[in-house]
Amino acid sequence: MFVSIFTSYPRTLIVVTALVAMLFLAYGGVTDAVYPSLLVVFEWLETTWFGVIGKTWGPAFAFVEAVHLLGLALLGGCVLAGDGRLLGLVLTDVPIRTVTERTHRVFVCGLAICLATGIFMACGVATKIYYLSVYWFKMLALSAGILFHFQIRRPLLNHDIQALNPVVVKMVGLASMLVWFMVAATGRWIGFSG
Amino acid sequence: MNELIYELAVWLDDTQWSTMLHESYYMYNWVESTHVLTLMVSLGMLFLIDLRMLGLALSDVPASRLAERLNAPMLIGFAMMFITGILLFYAVPVRTSQSLWFRIKMVLLVACAVNAFLFHKRMNESVETWDAEPKAPGRIRLGAMLSLAFWSIVVVCGRFIAYDWFDCDTSPNTLIDIVSGCVDGQTRF
Repeated sequence: MFVSIFTSYPRTLIVVTALVAMLFLAYGGVTDAVYPSLLVVFEWLETTWFGVIGKTWGPAFAFVEAVHLLGLALLGGCVLAGDGRLLGLVLTDVPIRTVTERTHRVFVCGLAICLATGIFMACGVATKIYYLSVYWFKMLALSAGILFHFQIRRPLLNHDIQALNPVVVKMVGLASMLVWFMVAATGRWIGFSG
Repeated sequence: MNELIYELAVWLDDTQWSTMLHESYYMYNWVESTHVLTLMVSLGMLFLIDLRMLGLALSDVPASRLAERLNAPMLIGFAMMFITGILLFYAVPVRTSQSLWFRIKMVLLVACAVNAFLFHKRMNESVETWDAEPKAPGRIRLGAMLSLAFWSIVVVCGRFIAYDWFDCDTSPNTLIDIVSGCVDGQTRF
């Protein structure tokens, strides 16, 4: 039975295992052992080119922040259009496959912009965000979002959608919207913390 | 004109609700977060429509259908941004009204509105002839590119408002002081 579960749902099991591992790292005793050693990495990040520019040239940091928001708008638009379609809220007269497939490339562009600008910003304030719990929540949510999108949502929707239980399709849409909202909201809250 | 704007801003600043909103840590941050996060709804939908016209996204969905179906969530997003934007202005009226970036943003918002009006007018006039084409005609594509450019600069200016590079009490530059609407002898910042 265990073998059949593993062969039938390998991606789901990998994602669940990764999430459990992340939660264990976040809340288990492992954190106390790993967390202090990460400070060196964050201190190093501030000495990189990105870190130096981010710390010393305010306009560059502010501009990258704005580009980060534009990437978020792109990503959010694709998530809302795609997941809104899965939930039957928007574009109901367009096939699900068409909406999710045709927005995927734009979603990846938005995600790439957010990641690149996010790394730049993180380097500029690395020793500040290291001490912020909301930053670590965001990293958890972001990892969950990326894993969920590429390992569960996309492979699932690449199958015959008509064969899927409509409730499962709606739950995937809802889960995706919630996880990306969590990423955006925790990201915004970093600015108010510290 | 700048004196009038300054006096109006001071009057708003003196109201009790403005002070309460400005000094409430959670309320102000909730309003600001809502303003930023509704970007995903308003600009997200708008960018998809613009990218469709440029043939870069959802190019096999009829353009008129996409624009029509995404119009409602986009307008809901813009309404929320507008309301929260007014509240943010109301919370810090003097500094915001004398912000160079805020003024550029307002001019660009007018440009966005005019561009959106012309874009829809041109689209409705001719959409039957190119609705299923992967790319819209040149004039519509120009409107979509202008929309993307204007809104991107609006976001940049919006982000820059938070920084005090050209505030009236810190900026030594006379030209920027004039554009920002700084008033001689003003006591409130």
